[in-house]
Formats: sequence, C-alpha cells, structure tokens
Amino acid sequence: MTDAAVRTEGLTKDFGAVRAVDDVNLIIDRGEVFGYLGPNGAGKTTTVRLLLDFLRPTAGRAVVLGGSGADPDVRRRIGYLPGDLRLDPDYTATDVIELFGSLRGGVDRRWVDTLLERFGLDPGRPVGELSTGNRRKVGVVQAFMSRPELLLLDEPTSGLDPLLQHQFNALVREVVAEGATVLLSSHVLPEVEALADRVGIVRKGRLVAVAGVEELRRTARQRIDLHVAGEVGEADVGRFRAVPEVAEASAEAGVVHLVVEGSVDRVLKVAAGLEVLRIVSREADLEDVFLRYYEGDE
Amino acid sequence: MIVAARLVRDRRRSLLWWSVGIVALVIFTVSLYPSLKGEESFNEVIEQMPEALRAMFGLDTAIPLTSPPGYLQGRLFGSMLPLLLLVFGIGLGARAIAGSEQDGTLELLLANPVTRRAVVVERYLAVVGMLACLTAVFAVSLVVLAAPFGALEDVPPTGLAGAVAGVFGISLLHATLAFGVGAATGRRALALSSATVVAVAGYLLQGLLGLSDAIRPLRFLSPWHWYLGRNMLAQGVAPDAIIVPLVLSAVVFAGGAAAFLRRDLR
Repeated sequence: MTDAAVRTEGLTKDFGAVRAVDDVNLIIDRGEVFGYLGPNGAGKTTTVRLLLDFLRPTAGRAVVLGGSGADPDVRRRIGYLPGDLRLDPDYTATDVIELFGSLRGGVDRRWVDTLLERFGLDPGRPVGELSTGNRRKVGVVQAFMSRPELLLLDEPTSGLDPLLQHQFNALVREVVAEGATVLLSSHVLPEVEALADRVGIVRKGRLVAVAGVEELRRTARQRIDLHVAGEVGEADVGRFRAVPEVAEASAEAGVVHLVVEGSVDRVLKVAAGLEVLRIVSREADLEDVFLRYYEGDE
Repeated sequence: MIVAARLVRDRRRSLLWWSVGIVALVIFTVSLYPSLKGEESFNEVIEQMPEALRAMFGLDTAIPLTSPPGYLQGRLFGSMLPLLLLVFGIGLGARAIAGSEQDGTLELLLANPVTRRAVVVERYLAVVGMLACLTAVFAVSLVVLAAPFGALEDVPPTGLAGAVAGVFGISLLHATLAFGVGAATGRRALALSSATVVAVAGYLLQGLLGLSDAIRPLRFLSPWHWYLGRNMLAQGVAPDAIIVPLVLSAVVFAGGAAAFLRRDLR
C-alpha cells in the first residue's frame, strides 16, 4: 500500500496566542497501531480533531485515508471515539446506533449485537442514566460498529475497568488483524504499550519523537521501591549503584528507592542479599520517558 | 434528511406541549369574545390611548376592539401569539446548532459521513418546519374554535391567512437570528440573548418611534412595525409584512451557515 492511513505535513494549530499543535509531521501506515502519547494538554485531542476537520489548521495539512476528514466518503471509513465523550442524555444506545448507523448507510446488526454482548451493555437505557464506564462502552460500540478502516481513539480506556480494558484491547487486536489502522491517543504508557507498534511522543504540541514500542520499552525507566527489614546502609545503596542499569539509588527508613533503566535482572540479584519485605514497582514513568527524548531534542 | 428527522423526533414532545399551550390560549381567547362584544366602552378606551401604546398592540381606532378583527389583533396577533411563537422559535433556533455544539453532541454527529453543510441545512429546515407546525396548530385551532363564539365573523379568509403568515414571518426571522448567531459562533447563550434583544428592542422601537412625526419614518427599521403596522384581519394582506421577514431570514441563515462552514467547532 503506497498511501499512508494518516499523513500530516507541518500541521499547526493556534488558539489565539497558544500554539496547540506545532508543525507535526506524522505518518501512520495502514494496518498499524500508532500510539500517540503525551501528557494532558499536549495537543493530542487537537490533532485528532484536526484530522476530522472539526478544526481547521493554522498551517500545514492532514491527509486521512487519501482524502480530507471533511469528506463524507472518508468519514464513512473512520470510527471515532472522543476523549470527552458526550452523548445526548435522552438517547439510548439503540438510538445512537440507529442514528449513526443510518448515516453510515446501515450497520451489520449481528456485529453490533456481538459488541453489545462483549461489553455487557444494555442498549435500552438512556445514556443519561448510565455510569461513566457504561457510557464509555456506548462510545466504543459506536466507534467500532461500522468496521471502519481507520479508528481514531482518544483516551479510549479511561473510565473502563480492567476487565473491560482487556476486552477492549482484544477488540482492537481483532480489527487490526483484519486490516484496520488505529490511532490510539493516551497519556499512560501501559495502555499504548499493550497495543501499539509505534509510538509518537507529543509534548507542548510538538511531536518530539517517534519510536518503536520495543525500543521505548528497552529505554523506559521504571521506579522500584524495596521495603526491607531493618536499616539500609550506605554500602547497600552502593551495591545497587554499581549495577549498570540503575540510574538512581537512594535509601531512607528501610526503603530503597531505585530508578532502573532497562532490565531489572541484576537489580533483583543484588536485592536478594537483603531481606526484602515488599516490592513496589511503578509503571515506567512517562515523564522519564519524555525526558530522555528531550535530552536529545532540546 | 436523517439529521432533520432526528431533530424533529428529539423535539416532538416539546412541540406537543407548546401546541397544547397554543390551543389553550385560543380557547381562552375566543370564548371570552361574546362577553366583550357588546361593550362599546372598550372602544373609547382605545381612542383615549396614546398612539404609541396603540401601535404596540397593532390597534387602530378605525377598527373597533369589539369587532372580531380588533379583538383578535389585540388579544392574539398583536400580543400573546407572537410572544409565544418567538420564545419557541428562538429557543429552538439557538439550540439547533449552538446548543448541541456546546453540549458536545454535534461533534460526534459530524464524525459520521455527513457534511457540515447538510447538518446546518437540515437542522434549519427542521426548525422552520416545527415553527410552521406550531403556527399551523394555531391557525387550525382558531378556525375551528372561533366559529361557535363568532370570533371570526367579518374576517375574510385571505386576511386571516395573511395575518397567520405575518406572525410566522416575524417569529421565523427571530428564530433564524438565534439559529444564525448560534451557527456562526457556537454559543447558545449569545444566540438566545441576541435574538431576544433584537425582538425587545424592535418592539420598543416601533412604539417609541411613533411618538413624534420627525422620527416616525424610522419605524420601518423595526420588524414589529412591518407586522403590526397594519391589521391584516381587517385591512387585507400586506405582502411586504410577509415577504420582507422571509427574505431577511434567508439572508441571515445564509450568513450564519457560511460562517459555520468556515470556522472551528468549539
């Protein structure tokens, strides 16, 4: 396939004096899951809204599925799940499905029923009476129901419980296996890590890096706290510092704080010499991931 | 027409209640007519009113208040009826684009294969249709309910049709203003308030500008003057009172829609 699913050239959007998206050159190939990763307010949602022609670029352009997001024939092939999902509170899921389905020239009833069943959604209740998670499910169903070629998913699993996140991830893998392309915007690395092939990192509107998820995982730092019995001496901390993968090590009142870059194997071997009561590992800190890229970038 | 049909479906309950209200107003008004018919003193009251006040209700000394045209003009066409239709139309117009944009539902609709142009046109047609429907409910209920009370005697059908078209015109103009401002800005409160301000200012203007001969010609600036300047029930159809608001509505809609097509969604 010669044509990318999404291609932006110098895409820029100003809101008054604020530059929300700054000269973004993004290529998402057909059939890939592209993670669009950045902290809240980095310009992820603005980028997606530019792709759908809800916003008009200040400079540059976006080509989506070979055309413009304003073109109904292009939109017909796109499924969109907004980060801030708002549905008419009086509509039931059935209303949403029927309305959007008729605009899309009909839906595959069996597929919709499968989706409803998989997410355990009662389609007859007004959206206004649903919990945040259930409302989110309506959003997921309407985005996937027409089996779109391109899915623009903005913070898709926020508000879904872990079980449903799992369901959601399985669904994404399934449609990708059938050839769909996915843009997955998120501010949490694990969400993207689980699905994406490549990740673009955005900060302050700029696409600061694009990396394969494997590469990201290799270089990502993680924070590990070891709660140990008794006092921790400077000598213990020194042993951790001697491990090449340890970027930072410190100790206070029976807790060793470590920042590890890459494999934790040798760290655990050192830890085996202590009486470790508990290990608290925090997911690779996004800020740390970003920082690594800024160091090279700025 | 999926978008238009859906808007009508979403608003049908509201339309039903407004219709009930309008029919109730008609019943209340026409049923009081027989008791007022013989009261000649009412006509003296009108004669003693300052002209500006008479103009505000579209009253005319030549048309007695005790005659059906005078009575219906004073109690319905010149007061409660346009008020209700305007409130209904302005609310509907402001909600159609700006309201759904502010509550966030417009964006998800536009993620579907439907152009902005189709959405703005279809929603406007739905607004026009619902306003026309409410006006028709009024007209039909008046024709049906006035007969037993003799409240439509001496009113020619063309005059009645003209007056109904006139009240539809002035309400459509203000509904379109709310729709157009909302489509251009995406702000519902601004759409509501600007249409309301134009309605109130226009109403006061046509009364106040009638106070002195020097400024009287300026009354043409007020849509209310076009509408209330002549009692169509008695004096026959005033085509400009119908055509001018419709043409202006088309212009306002075109402007609002053009801005909507060019701007960012909020």
